Amino acid sequence: MRIRVMSQLQRSLSIELPSLVPLQLPSRMETHLWFIRPDEVKSTSLLKHYSQLLSPTEKEKVLQMRGDELKKNALLARTLVRTTIARYQTNNEVDPKALMFKKNMYGKPEVDWQNYTNCNNPPLHFNISHTDSLIACGVTVHVPVGIDVEDKERKIKHDILAFAERFYSADEVKFLSTLPDPEVQRKEFIKLWTLKEAYVKALGKGFSAAPFNTFTIQSKVGTKGEYNLCKMTEMTASSLEETNKCDGEWKFSLLELDDSHYAAICIEDDEASGGAPMRVIVRKTIPFVEDELISESKLL
Amino acid sequence: MASIAASASISLQARPRQLAIAARQVKSFSNGRRSSLSFNLRQLPTRLTVSCAAKPETVDKVCAVVRKQLSLKEADEITAATKFAALGADSLDTVEIVMGLEEEFGIEMAEEKAQSIATVEQAAALIEELLFEKAK
Repeated sequence: MRIRVMSQLQRSLSIELPSLVPLQLPSRMETHLWFIRPDEVKSTSLLKHYSQLLSPTEKEKVLQMRGDELKKNALLARTLVRTTIARYQTNNEVDPKALMFKKNMYGKPEVDWQNYTNCNNPPLHFNISHTDSLIACGVTVHVPVGIDVEDKERKIKHDILAFAERFYSADEVKFLSTLPDPEVQRKEFIKLWTLKEAYVKALGKGFSAAPFNTFTIQSKVGTKGEYNLCKMTEMTASSLEETNKCDGEWKFSLLELDDSHYAAICIEDDEASGGAPMRVIVRKTIPFVEDELISESKLL
Repeated sequence: MASIAASASISLQARPRQLAIAARQVKSFSNGRRSSLSFNLRQLPTRLTVSCAAKPETVDKVCAVVRKQLSLKEADEITAATKFAALGADSLDTVEIVMGLEEEFGIEMAEEKAQSIATVEQAAALIEELLFEKAK
């Protein structure tokens, strides 16, 4: 289902961009996953509009990227974050350019609501991840979120098991070494990477709070989730006794985006959810132009 | 009277942090005659702290590993100050770069340190620190 917010005519005349279409907030235990495909954004006037949304610091960071493609992707990442968050402000219209961001004490970016005295601002959490060909942003309310996306076809330059032995947990190495087909092994390695990254990013305490070899992620027996557009598998994390740094339970979701990428989402479990799986709403977007709902699916 | 030619010339370079001068008593000096100086001036090696820039050879080797991992083209410029992120490296790339560096230099980096290096220079400095520790 596509929602076009700009008519064909408007686009061809490069008229002033319309205001952003507001969005319904995610409900508890629901994650909204937005993504952009950089190769679908070609209009230079549109990119110019996007660059006008960025803060001076953000613009500087974009310019530091080497080469046009990386610059464009950096621009799109910031645009995606600003426009997406601005759209969730259903009470008052928020100018995406006016949003401010800060970092928590470990360096995780978050929204800085200081400019908005309206106490009705929802406690939105977000996290972004990008690859060369896809940029994603996950949004939740009330609970921290971490996401990671990787190209399914990404080649690992080192031997997979050597890499796993160096960085993953013993159980994960064991699991990977049971896979006879190298291609399957590579894919599972990447899936595990995205899940582990998503977890560390959701934790938001930096890598030293949860070194990769101190926790294991494995698929929950008896769960299924095969859909046409996004394949999902439910994962659970179990941390070893030694690391008692994790607060509470964490929920995972692994999907396939656009047939080309794995996306892992990790959110802090809200006890009120009663163990229900994470609900993920996936939408592809081109800010100010169109949204495309990819799926609205429940996990078992 | 015996004249003692003490090597008192000490050339100071721009950067050395400390110059240690040893003083020791001279007990006797040729034929039992007393010397006019009761101590000798001797130059000890200057002590340099590790805050100096990493060796160019190390930087070059790091650049080579990074080039290979990120499949950079010949024309892509990479220097000591280059940030990995600016080259498009994500966290998986960074970890692979670390593995490449560990293989190249025969060292092992702690994961937290590995994840925190952001530039070629930082990687080179960490490598030299680890090599220094290893050589002890």
